[in-house]
Amino acid sequence: MNILIIDDSGVMRRIHKGILMEHGVPESDIIEAEDGRVALELSATKHIDLFLVDWNMPKLNGLEFVRAVRAVASYKDTPIIMITSEAARYMVVEAVQAGVTNYVVKPVKGNALFEKIEKYLQA
Amino acid sequence: MRAEYVNPFLKASINLFKEYLGLQAVAGKPHLLGDPQDLDAVSAIIGLAGDTRGAVVLSFSRETAMRIVSKMAGQEYKMLSNEVLDGVGELINIIAGNAKQGLLDFRIEISLPGVVTGNSYKIRWPEGIPVVSIPFTTELGPFTVNVSLKDIA
Repeated sequence: MNILIIDDSGVMRRIHKGILMEHGVPESDIIEAEDGRVALELSATKHIDLFLVDWNMPKLNGLEFVRAVRAVASYKDTPIIMITSEAARYMVVEAVQAGVTNYVVKPVKGNALFEKIEKYLQA
Repeated sequence: MRAEYVNPFLKASINLFKEYLGLQAVAGKPHLLGDPQDLDAVSAIIGLAGDTRGAVVLSFSRETAMRIVSKMAGQEYKMLSNEVLDGVGELINIIAGNAKQGLLDFRIEISLPGVVTGNSYKIRWPEGIPVVSIPFTTELGPFTVNVSLKDIA
């Protein structure tokens, strides 16, 4: 399984990767990208089974990434979890309309975050 | 600047410390910052634009910044590395993003965070708008959240 963590913050990527590994996800299953543009390039060369994406990023933000990746036929139904500090309700609605599968507002504790992710790992 | 603009930032800061770091951040009395450049050695800034405009700055000493990011990342940092600055930027990003939930009357976009360090930097606050400073104390050290938001008529 390939899980792509997309976040411009290296610290956040490290935290999210750590949460996955603490729950038994092998390091080799986890790929990182620092913005949406890099994530699109990576997902074109390797099939991704689960995206964990931040919203506020340079070059191509999370929302733009979701719209772009959903336009690719092979990613029409791939789970995308947005993990973001953007807590306003209209933004959650915007993200879901763009194709986000699940939306998690930071700050979130490790176990709570993994509970949101877990069901997509079993799929 | 209306007082009700400050509360969402106060609540978001307390929530961030509680949820992410398992720490209690105790807020002091918000006050107008006489000198808007009177900030600590590490400051993270985020701009707000849309129905209102302004800026939010999270400021603390180098030592407090290192302690807080160490706790957040689960790794001890002994110098103000790029990774620490990255973590500081993420903190203000979470505070500003969460605070928008309490500013429901506005549609606001937040900028990417920027972090400045040293003793002689200047923050470009929005002109003519006072800066309200909220002091916090935590077991990892004190910090301030400074908010300047334009009133909407």
